[in-house]
Amino acid sequence: MKLLVCIKQVPDLESRFKPDSEGVWYSESDLAWRMNEYDEFAVEQAVQLREKLGETVELTVLSIGPDRVVEAIKKALAMGCDNAVHIQDPVAAAKDPWQIASVIAVYAKDKGYDLIFTGMQSQDRGSAQVGVMVAEQLGYSSCTTLVGFEYDSGVVTAKRELEGGIKGVVKMKTPALVTCQLGLNVPRYPTLPNIMKSKKKEIITLAVSDLLTAEPLAATISFYSPTKKGGGLVLEGEVASLVDQVIGILKEKTSVLR
Amino acid sequence: MIKDESTIKLMIDTVSSYVKDRLIPIEEECAENDSIPHEIIDEIRDLGLFGLSIPEEYGGLGLTLEEEMLVVFELCQASPIFRSVIGTNVGIGALGIVLDGTEEQKLKYLPKLASGELIGSFALTEPEAGSDAASLRSTALRDGDDYIINGTKRFITNAPEAGIFTVFARTDSENKGAGGISAFLVEKGTPGLSLGKNEKKMGQWGGHVCDVNFDDCRVPVSAIIGGKEGQGFKTAMKTLDKSRTHIAAVCVGASDRIIKEALSYAVERKQFSKPISDFQLIQAMLADSKAEAYAARSMVLETARKYDLKKNISTESSCCKLFASETVCKIADRAVQILGGSGYIRDYAVERFYRDVRLFRLYEGTSQIQQLIIARNMIKEIN
Repeated sequence: MKLLVCIKQVPDLESRFKPDSEGVWYSESDLAWRMNEYDEFAVEQAVQLREKLGETVELTVLSIGPDRVVEAIKKALAMGCDNAVHIQDPVAAAKDPWQIASVIAVYAKDKGYDLIFTGMQSQDRGSAQVGVMVAEQLGYSSCTTLVGFEYDSGVVTAKRELEGGIKGVVKMKTPALVTCQLGLNVPRYPTLPNIMKSKKKEIITLAVSDLLTAEPLAATISFYSPTKKGGGLVLEGEVASLVDQVIGILKEKTSVLR
Repeated sequence: MIKDESTIKLMIDTVSSYVKDRLIPIEEECAENDSIPHEIIDEIRDLGLFGLSIPEEYGGLGLTLEEEMLVVFELCQASPIFRSVIGTNVGIGALGIVLDGTEEQKLKYLPKLASGELIGSFALTEPEAGSDAASLRSTALRDGDDYIINGTKRFITNAPEAGIFTVFARTDSENKGAGGISAFLVEKGTPGLSLGKNEKKMGQWGGHVCDVNFDDCRVPVSAIIGGKEGQGFKTAMKTLDKSRTHIAAVCVGASDRIIKEALSYAVERKQFSKPISDFQLIQAMLADSKAEAYAARSMVLETARKYDLKKNISTESSCCKLFASETVCKIADRAVQILGGSGYIRDYAVERFYRDVRLFRLYEGTSQIQQLIIARNMIKEIN
């Protein structure tokens, strides 16, 4: 059985972001990088399945981007992936989700992956499109926003999170692709001995130019910080008067007391 | 020396996340209960932190000293009691075997020390032999194929949890100096070995020290480290040369955390209608703390790189220990000052750190002993 997990390296969300010189993405200077949080859920789920099914399973981690993404790949290897594919692309951020999905699909086609795991979305672009478009291009079943996952004899039972806290359960036959949501699992810390061992695991590097066949379908035309909102409203006076003021505001400006 | 930048960065990220997610949230609870929960010890074991400095061929990670320092800086962003859990295995409790042990001793103990299955402890200090370690009174008298150890060891870190003790005792009753001392490996449960009660300490609650008593404690000849009598004091000094740099790194990590606490308080706390960080006298304390912590960090890394090049760091490691431990106490004092009355209240981590870091000027050689080592080395070099 062959498993693939696709990950992206994103800036740490505690970083200070500023638009790049073209104003279409963020500037990459002075940023700390980490594995996309949703992709950590994907890696953890894939590793758990690999551990459950044993040595006959091969789990590959794939990432597209410049050299720095190897750090995220190494983390996935230390978490338990068997080997890795780094699709070298210094300007991955300039590609739209369709192109990224196409690159993955071109790579994965004919490789015989039974299951592909991705994060629900990336924390920086947040399109939530890549996973489903990979599935579409490969002709795989797919299921998004997983908060529960079971696998038995070629059938995936996926619990999905829908709006308003409602859950749904979907069964799919492999080959299939799932996108993973917060709450699916608690990603493990890569242990220090496993980090050392992962140094010996194979990372194949491919040039994106050998895999990119699709033209972009969308382009970001502007990237900017929202204008600052005004300061908060400070109420003053005695407690009874403050309560009246708060009730008045809640009635007037919200639906809380209607 | 950093062997592989991306590997060490990943290790630092892992430790940093673990410290933030798991250790800092429970540090106050551990201090209150004077105990670290078993599941945390298990997690620290699973992460592989016990094996930082033990060579790879004996099941450890075999980090260079510079790499170890970088991991320790990160681990010590949390209360120093968590570092203390691994401290003896990474440092004094295992180093005697790593540096001078026979191959048989290394194979027997190091894999278990690296995995954390076994906790190591270093029993040098005695009631009458603290700074003057060479005058220790414990004896180990040869009796056939055994030695019989008698004496009391004081303030022994991790003794209640230890499975193996590195014990220093006098094997040559004629030689009252350092040359009459040998180092032994004594396993927990050996008849004649007993523990005193846990000491009630000023700080570092959750980490434990107690007396270790030897009363006709019989160990085989094979328990002598390196298999040779009279080498014990040298082993102790070599161990301390390295481990003092480790303690200095602990001080650097704690300094960074205390500065963070003081800074975040200073930008939030308002007096005279503005954050106290706007006041220059507060800024001066923050700046001095930052500069001194940076100096300590730089010293530790420089010394570690020298050690990794197999150079003697006796003077430098004492400089690091002296400067970093004095510095972290000054930084903690300033932090209490910045927090004002709140800094004296237990709800704030700064109050706890102020008490916790005081130990660093005392153990593994007081500041005054570091001064003596540094000065003696300087004078020896010129002569």
